[in-house]
Amino acid sequence: MPRPPGATDMNENLPVPPSPAPEPASMSRRSFLRGSTVMAAGVAAMAAGLAPLRKLGDFGSVDEFLQAHYNELSPDQMSTVLSRIEGEVQRQYGVRPHVRDLKAMNGVEFVYALNLTRCTGCRKCVHACVEENNQSRDPAIEYIRVLKMPNGTFDMEKGDHNYAPESVPEPGFFYMPVQCHQCKNPPCVKVCPVKATWQDPDGITVIDYNWCIGCRYCEAACPYFARRFNFSEPTIPKEQLNTNMSYLGNQPRHKGVMEKCHFCVQRTRAGLYPACLEVCPTGARKFGNILDPHSEVSQILKHKRVFVLKEEVGTLPRFFYYFDV
Amino acid sequence: MSGDTKISIVLGACTAVFLALGASFLTASRSSPAPAPAHPLREREQVAAYAGTVRISAESMLKSGGDASALDCYACHDEKKTPQISRDATGQVILPKDHADLIFSMRNCVSCHSGSRAVKLEIDGDGNTIIPPAHAGDLVLAHGKADHNNNACFNCHDPKKLNELVTRDGTRLKLSEATMLCASCHGPTYRDWDAGMHGRTTGHWKRELGGFVRESCTSCHDPHAPAFPALIPRPGPRPAPNAPAARSH
Repeated sequence: MPRPPGATDMNENLPVPPSPAPEPASMSRRSFLRGSTVMAAGVAAMAAGLAPLRKLGDFGSVDEFLQAHYNELSPDQMSTVLSRIEGEVQRQYGVRPHVRDLKAMNGVEFVYALNLTRCTGCRKCVHACVEENNQSRDPAIEYIRVLKMPNGTFDMEKGDHNYAPESVPEPGFFYMPVQCHQCKNPPCVKVCPVKATWQDPDGITVIDYNWCIGCRYCEAACPYFARRFNFSEPTIPKEQLNTNMSYLGNQPRHKGVMEKCHFCVQRTRAGLYPACLEVCPTGARKFGNILDPHSEVSQILKHKRVFVLKEEVGTLPRFFYYFDV
Repeated sequence: MSGDTKISIVLGACTAVFLALGASFLTASRSSPAPAPAHPLREREQVAAYAGTVRISAESMLKSGGDASALDCYACHDEKKTPQISRDATGQVILPKDHADLIFSMRNCVSCHSGSRAVKLEIDGDGNTIIPPAHAGDLVLAHGKADHNNNACFNCHDPKKLNELVTRDGTRLKLSEATMLCASCHGPTYRDWDAGMHGRTTGHWKRELGGFVRESCTSCHDPHAPAFPALIPRPGPRPAPNAPAARSH
């Protein structure tokens, strides 16, 4: 086999001159300094970029940020979440609340019925709801809107919710309170891009306030103006906080999430009537389980002339209006 | 007898019966029906009475230092969570703003006019009680529409014993059984109330988990002026954050 010229046999016995170690290019003094300068500048730029996050007082804790979706929380995780919320409320309001995660009861589907013949428009329901459900007082968030309507029409354009006479009812008008209708075909649930709102088996459409990203699609989709957005951090006087709380119900909300009427899940899933019904002086409000044939709402749907608001939009509300004739 | 004669006799008999029926119908329709037996009202009996209800506002009631023991505060308030009563420097009760519209209507005449202070009611020609001038402002008898009213005391009260009730068919009832007296005239409303469709029910919708309260007629309606009183409305919505802007930037 011919050898190329200059090629020698490597005789193991011959001393081999030590070859210099290959110089590492990245470790030179110059490149080290250059690299570390760039890296320090990058870190500084990133810190500067993230700096506004430090000012987000309502950003919440890391646990809150990393919390899973409501339907993916195990019972253990949920009890951790509930005690975290209790701690946070205690820090903020100085009272330790009782936060529960009340689930829908079996064999129960809630229905609301409201007697338009009896409602006098006193707005006691509006304010009882605010107090029960820990709604922001300033800016004021109210789930119930009472519309003053002229007799003889259901044209919502003619409704007025800013009425302030000396006394109610005023002759020639009737009063129609509007709140979340807990639709069987809820458009708000369909549009939610992150599944932060859904319909529970008892018919209540609930919101995971932790999962809501505040896009307000649901507010736009609702034909009843039932959803409210927290544009700023809610304010509730410490002494007015309702400490009987439910995770999906009246736990304090933060800036940037939606909220709405949830038929007082902290009350109704414990067997009680909702707060708006409790306070109604005329007994115009009726609530109960439609699957029980002897419940008040079953009797009303069987014997009274009921109607739903905006039937033509196909939302199938669970909130019925009726008359006493 | 031929067949023709038989037919004419039958036809003649039918005609006679028809004409007789027609004549009786005409006479019956022209004459007026027998008058129904009059239902005598017992109002005209002159009895020393304490009927009627004093409707007095909460403010004047507290100022007068009146007895509030007969008032059904717990129709709305939870008995275990009694509301805190605040008083001003002179010891007068400060009336909560919510109750400025409250009318204490369940005070019967007898709560003041008893024993030696009993009064004799004057009755006018129509059988209605004449309201004494001293009570012109607060004694209200307004049961039913103005032209069709039921302001006669003894339509409901027993003339001999005013704190007992008696229905038109003579059934005697205690004051606590007033619901059945109301039901004797207001049948459809009683039916609705009985099924839970009319009136206030509070407490538990799920009866297995706790009690509930169904208010009876007189918890909400003053029997002497049953129309539900007008109320002062609570404040309306303040400019909502979700509302469209009144003007552009």
